[in-house]
Amino acid sequence: MTVTVKFWSYFKDHTECAETSLELPAGATLGEAHAAVIAQFPVLGDMQSSTLKAVGVNYQPDEFLLSDDDEISLFPPVQGG
Amino acid sequence: MKTQLTLTPDPIDERALIAEREMSDGMGAALIFHGFVRAQEGEATIAAIDYEAFDDMACHQFELIFEEIDRQWPIESVRVVHRVGVVPVNEPSLWVELIAPHRAEAFKACQFLINEMKQRVPIWKRPVVPSS
Repeated sequence: MTVTVKFWSYFKDHTECAETSLELPAGATLGEAHAAVIAQFPVLGDMQSSTLKAVGVNYQPDEFLLSDDDEISLFPPVQGG
Repeated sequence: MKTQLTLTPDPIDERALIAEREMSDGMGAALIFHGFVRAQEGEATIAAIDYEAFDDMACHQFELIFEEIDRQWPIESVRVVHRVGVVPVNEPSLWVELIAPHRAEAFKACQFLINEMKQRVPIWKRPVVPSS
């Protein structure tokens, strides 16, 4: 299956792109997708523990089962206000 | 509970917001909070903050916060305006209004809203340094 991964805030600077796509096996989890992104962009590994992860517009845990065409967002802690 | 959320690059027009206020005669508290951009960000002196939002998710997360407020307190309305883009020092980046029967629930709900926003609403800031 194919998923889109969007980067926000300074993650975009680190990856030098706003989004990428991943090919994952059926049944892949959000955590596995995150690991695949870090393999592609090792600089994000330093921020792995503080990275917030969403699918669509909802936060999801690493165990979340992905579906084809899901849109993942990875970003640093939020800072509104 | 009535809700209104605006993410905007434009300056916050409080006069217009107050002119649009709807408040029933059972309400005794109208609480307004402004969040301003400070000139100091850590050790650095800055000229502005550049706010970036993941708009769709920010709106959804604010809606979830509004739902939680509606479950917890008898708030008649909540309105939130958050700036995106460059906001100069001394200008408000955030405007919140809560209408409630009494002040206690308005203060509690406002504190809750802002605390939750800072935990889960995907908005980020980048300091803008003064040009030399």
